[in-house]
Amino acid sequence: MCGETAVKPRFTHMPLEQYIYTGTVLKWLLGLAWLLPLVGFAIEIFGGAWGKRLDPVAGGRKLRLAGYLAVFCIGTGFLLSLTALVVWKGGTGVALMPTAEAVSHGDHAAPDGGEHGSDDHAVDHGEHAGHDGSGDKPQQATEGDARGQSPAAEAHGHGEADAHQEGGGHEAHANDPYAAAFSGTYYELARFGNLRLTIDYYIDGLTVLMFCMVTLIATCIHIFAIGYMSDELTEDYEDHFVHLSGGRHFHRPGRFYRFFAFMSLFCFSMLGLVIAGNIFQVFVFWELVGICSYLLIGFYVERHSASTAANKAFIMNRVGDFGFLIGLMILWTYFGTFQFANVSPAGSPDAANGPGLFQMVRDSRGDLQVEETADEQVVMLQGSGSADDTSSPRSIPYWLLVAAGVGIFGGCIGKSAQFPLQPWLPDAMEGPTPVSALVHSATMVAAGVYLAGRFYPMFTPEVLLVIAYVGCITLFIGATIAIVATDIKRVLAYSTISQLGYMMLALGVGGWAAGIYHLITHAFFKSLMFLCSGSVIHGCHHEQEMTRMGGLYKKMPITCGAMLVGVVAISGLAFWIPLAGLTGLSGFYSKDAIVASSLAFMAGNPNHFLLFLVPLVTAGITAFYMFRLWFMTFAGQPRDQHVYDHAHESPRVMTTPLIILSVFAVGCAWFGVLENWILTSEPAHVAAGLTSAYHVLLTMPSHHAIHAMHHTAGTAALIAAVTGALLSAVFYWKGLVDPESVRKPFAGVHHFLVEKWEFDNLYDVMFVRPVHVVASWCTAFDKYVLDGILHLLSRLTVATSAWDRKFDETVVDGLVNLLGNTTYGVGRSLQVVQTGRLRQYVMFIVVGVLGLFVLLIMFFPRA
Amino acid sequence: MNETALLSLTIFLPTLGAFALLFFEKKAVEGMRVFSLVVTAITFALTLAMWKQFDPSVAGMQMQTSLVWIAGWNINYQLGVDGISLPLVLLTSLVSMLAMVASWSITKQVRGYLMLFLLLETGMLGVFLALDFFLFYVFWEVMLLPMYFLIGVWGGPRREYAAIKFFLYTLVGGVLMLIAMLMFYFGSAQSTATGESIFDLLTLMEIAEVGGFDRTMQITAFILLFIGFAIKLPSFPFHTWLPDAHVEAPTPISMILAGVLLKMGGYGIIRIAMPLCPYGTQYAAYVLVALGVFNIIYGAFAAMAQTDFKRLVAYSSVSHMGYVLVGLAVWKISEASGATVGREYWVLGVNGAMFQMLGHGISSAGMFFMVGVVYDRVHHRDLNKFGGLMQRMPHYSGLAMVIFFAGLGLPGLCGFIGEIAVVLSAWSFSPLLAIIAASGVILTAGYILWTIQRVYLGPEYKGPHAEELTPINGREASVAYVLAVMAIVLGVYPELMFGLMRTSIDTLTISLADGYDAVRVIGDQVGAVLSP
Amino acid sequence: MEGVGINGYLGVGAVLFVCGVVCMATKRNGIGVLMGVELVLNGANVNFVAFSRFGHLGLDGQVAALFVIVMAAAEAAVALAIVLSFYNNHLTVDVDRADELRG
Repeated sequence: MCGETAVKPRFTHMPLEQYIYTGTVLKWLLGLAWLLPLVGFAIEIFGGAWGKRLDPVAGGRKLRLAGYLAVFCIGTGFLLSLTALVVWKGGTGVALMPTAEAVSHGDHAAPDGGEHGSDDHAVDHGEHAGHDGSGDKPQQATEGDARGQSPAAEAHGHGEADAHQEGGGHEAHANDPYAAAFSGTYYELARFGNLRLTIDYYIDGLTVLMFCMVTLIATCIHIFAIGYMSDELTEDYEDHFVHLSGGRHFHRPGRFYRFFAFMSLFCFSMLGLVIAGNIFQVFVFWELVGICSYLLIGFYVERHSASTAANKAFIMNRVGDFGFLIGLMILWTYFGTFQFANVSPAGSPDAANGPGLFQMVRDSRGDLQVEETADEQVVMLQGSGSADDTSSPRSIPYWLLVAAGVGIFGGCIGKSAQFPLQPWLPDAMEGPTPVSALVHSATMVAAGVYLAGRFYPMFTPEVLLVIAYVGCITLFIGATIAIVATDIKRVLAYSTISQLGYMMLALGVGGWAAGIYHLITHAFFKSLMFLCSGSVIHGCHHEQEMTRMGGLYKKMPITCGAMLVGVVAISGLAFWIPLAGLTGLSGFYSKDAIVASSLAFMAGNPNHFLLFLVPLVTAGITAFYMFRLWFMTFAGQPRDQHVYDHAHESPRVMTTPLIILSVFAVGCAWFGVLENWILTSEPAHVAAGLTSAYHVLLTMPSHHAIHAMHHTAGTAALIAAVTGALLSAVFYWKGLVDPESVRKPFAGVHHFLVEKWEFDNLYDVMFVRPVHVVASWCTAFDKYVLDGILHLLSRLTVATSAWDRKFDETVVDGLVNLLGNTTYGVGRSLQVVQTGRLRQYVMFIVVGVLGLFVLLIMFFPRA
Repeated sequence: MNETALLSLTIFLPTLGAFALLFFEKKAVEGMRVFSLVVTAITFALTLAMWKQFDPSVAGMQMQTSLVWIAGWNINYQLGVDGISLPLVLLTSLVSMLAMVASWSITKQVRGYLMLFLLLETGMLGVFLALDFFLFYVFWEVMLLPMYFLIGVWGGPRREYAAIKFFLYTLVGGVLMLIAMLMFYFGSAQSTATGESIFDLLTLMEIAEVGGFDRTMQITAFILLFIGFAIKLPSFPFHTWLPDAHVEAPTPISMILAGVLLKMGGYGIIRIAMPLCPYGTQYAAYVLVALGVFNIIYGAFAAMAQTDFKRLVAYSSVSHMGYVLVGLAVWKISEASGATVGREYWVLGVNGAMFQMLGHGISSAGMFFMVGVVYDRVHHRDLNKFGGLMQRMPHYSGLAMVIFFAGLGLPGLCGFIGEIAVVLSAWSFSPLLAIIAASGVILTAGYILWTIQRVYLGPEYKGPHAEELTPINGREASVAYVLAVMAIVLGVYPELMFGLMRTSIDTLTISLADGYDAVRVIGDQVGAVLSP
Repeated sequence: MEGVGINGYLGVGAVLFVCGVVCMATKRNGIGVLMGVELVLNGANVNFVAFSRFGHLGLDGQVAALFVIVMAAAEAAVALAIVLSFYNNHLTVDVDRADELRG
């Protein structure tokens, strides 16, 4: 169906004018939401610098205008995003709410109805119906719904068939991600013939979702930060962490405005990354996100640790970007475009720009067209170039496509702190806590996962395997280090690394939706937990060591409760609720989906069993260390009376965002809305699963296969999580077993974990020092070899000229002087003849003349 | 204004200004400065007028002037501007004006300084606008002498050494260029309509395009010209004059040196070496790209090891100018047919190289200026003895970070566009070299961030003269703001310059490809004749 | 009848010349030396005129003779002035005393 009418059938259900209208509205709504923070940044940074001189406020207290402005910008952005959601939904006719029947169906109760992948099929059917433009399909869909049975059943029927005959008609329920997408160009940076560098937009369900998520969380964090950063409002801020040479503490003016300016810039960069319609633009904002994180991590510029952490973050990201750049080069060379997909229908102004990357690499069913040439496999590109564009190549060697995918994923490794570039993230906790919340839980690190998800169609199965293993290693490393970390923020940081690993793993094993799902839910509960930790730190006067906390639930009940929500959510715990059945917080569903995906993957590829076991075990570890954090901080007895006595609950401006985020952390996964939303953007080839035999034998699980594993996986994950939580309670709440006693026998392991698997030391030895050594070699080469040669030459020249001088002075001058002297001597000797006597001269003349005559006659006798 | 006179006026206005300085009273130092600034500002305005009159859709030279200068040798006073020279002319006049603003810190023999400065500007503009090889050479040498004195008299403690090093290096380059120039002069006789030898670059290019110069000559001449220009660029292994010259030169002269003089190397390659020797260019393309890539890495490594702030910036110039070399030379041909492959990517590379020159002109001038600002205050440049400037001079530090980030190649600032364009174009030429070039981004980030950390961040200033660290004044801030704004403008609106360059570069690459093809065909025919 | 031939004239000229030279070489008086010079010149004049008459010189010889006469007059004037000046300085006209040009 879609296959035959690949040209552009999907817009038949939407008139061109409506499409263009919706696209334009979305473009400007999201564009505005994206650019507002930039405006905010400009005003804040200049207003802050100039306002300082003009600010007449007495007592040196400064206004919070910058904070309000930043909140206004990002908050408006959130409202615009919501509007965009409405417009997008209305314009494309996508159904996000599952039907009542679908809700009641399922092994689990209502909330996870979406996970069955059922409702998306319903959506799909609706869309496909639209494509065909015929009336029977929608009827079929309604029939399916009307039967009181999920259309999923029917879809699964197809799926089952597919499982046995791969590629045979699975397009029947493949998602069409372009159906609800809008693409176009904001601004052309440069154009070289057919090559264009542009600022594009690509708006589909995922974009809108990310916009809503980012702006919502950012708004909460901004509001929180107004409270958290209020001690920066003074003209004389004393930094207790910085010791000057005289043993004094460091004093400086507060930098309230600068903080919010950077936050706004960060939001701008992140939103630009999300709205990006081409991979080059992603790279641009990728770098900007990096530099914003540099500025924010290094916000306390006077702390050496902070500036070092900022450098580390940026440079490690750049290492990833190096891979990204290689990917860009390959794509650029072989595809001649950076655009993701050009979904503009014929007739709209952007349609002439040719197809995007995804459309070129995959056909309408989402398959790669691999052909064997003489010496290698090449991927044929679909419709590459219009008729007049003969210069762009028509195929790309398969291994280069793999290389490009791995390269792009290299960027994701850097940004999402995956193995082996994860060490920057914990160090990045040097920034103020709202920064950690914004930059390092919900947005910046999410960018890597987002990109991996967005760029999914370009990844071949080999790349996915790499992604899966990287994710698997990362989630294990992160979780193990988190067990021994005692800094409250660092625990969260490592848990972030671990959770990001989960997301990557999910993407890698073919659970595209699961990965993105976890990205969203994790964003909510992780930012919630970071803000809670910020609240704790604020309340405890910048004490971050959990070993000095304890029993804080009495002092800060709201924070304690909010944190508990986050902990339960991330641990993936669920409860039996009589009416609704087994109900969990958001993390439960997404983690379930991930574990199910990986189990399905293992079922298809038994030799990759680690990809299931490790995440399962780590699910237990996650519950363990998260509850450990909560118990150590809030439960039990105070460990440090001083800290405890001074602790206090945070003001309303800080607790309100906690409550808002808690609501989302609890319920964002309920009713299947989120899952449906995500599934609208799922790449076409994912739903059916596929078998790859090009280089490595891999079977990507289909939706059906994942669903089949769901129950088993969910149970296993829940058991693991409960075990972890119970163990944690035994150690840290009830104190039944002293952690010390367990630690002693494993001192080596403990040390290894405390030293973060020795990555920092390893990198120091492997990279940092060699670079400095090579650098000094280069300088030495310049100084001793190149300049040495030069100086040698100049000395040779000087020596030669010395010889030259000697030659001149002795030989040349000697000859000339000899001539002169001789002449002089002759003159002297002739002097005597010159008597001055006239008569004598006359005699000379006479004698001379006579002599001449005599000679004349003698020698020339007359003939 | 008559557009033919515009170019001449632009070139010689600074000279007139220099002579007018003689009429000032000796003590009227301030007046002379203001006067020189006005002269450079008017020159800048004239180049803007040139921009306004320029038609970017025309490929060839515009606003040409041609007067017979030395008839016997066919030397003409010939000027013109196209999409390749115009951006550089704009850059020259802008940087000169800013450097003049920065020259207020010069207090020794101000009149002489200002006169030499203005003469230098004439030389630089002349180089970019000359269309006669001989005239080009004359301007090239004219520019050299004021520079020598500016470094040698107003420089730092080792100024004589640096000045003589600079002078000798450039002179050697000039001599090589002279030889090549004479080769073309005498080689052109057989190809011109009248049978006369010529120095006219445009005609020489046309001859080269139809294969009028044979392979051996092209290769020899290209090597000579390339070395001549590579010294200026500067490229490894001819770069060691640069750190010394930069370190010893006074701040405004460093700005000129980095902002404009280095560009002449790149300009010479694209204006003279490549069009006159298409075959030679293609012959050496791989070496050029490899050398450029090596420069990128080598410069970055060397920069990382420096402890002198100015030396670091100087080495960063070596690294950045490597991209120019790479971008210019990513000319891939099909081994079998000799046809140019993927010309779009090469066009991208050349555009990127040109943009990199502009971007580097802004960012490196800015970096040197920023170094100069602190040097004027504390009189040292030891990186390990800075720190905490963010606390002492926040305004200055903020601007400096923008400019350093531009040097780092951050998107949205001018350094990024050129770098990314060059790197993206490189893969189609050679994947290996492209990968190495791309790895430069890590090293660049490393040394720049490390520098920022050592100089601007941290709690307190560790060096001498701490009390001198006053916030920047309006004059300094104005220079810094102009440079920072330019960095942002070029970064977010590169079309401003790409639009000017596009047609010219497109035509250039086509004519180069034709020129290469012509020589190859002739060579093959000769081979076919000789072989049986 | 045959007039006086060229040999006669040349003989007179030669005698005059030799007399003049001898006069120059022997006289210590400056005036006397001048007289010798006049004799030499006039000996030459006789030759010029004789060649003018008998040789191929034509009028040129006579013009040359006239030239010599004018020159002799001028020379005499200058030389007499020198002698007078010498006398004023040395109170003598003895040329042997005038050896200041000795090297």
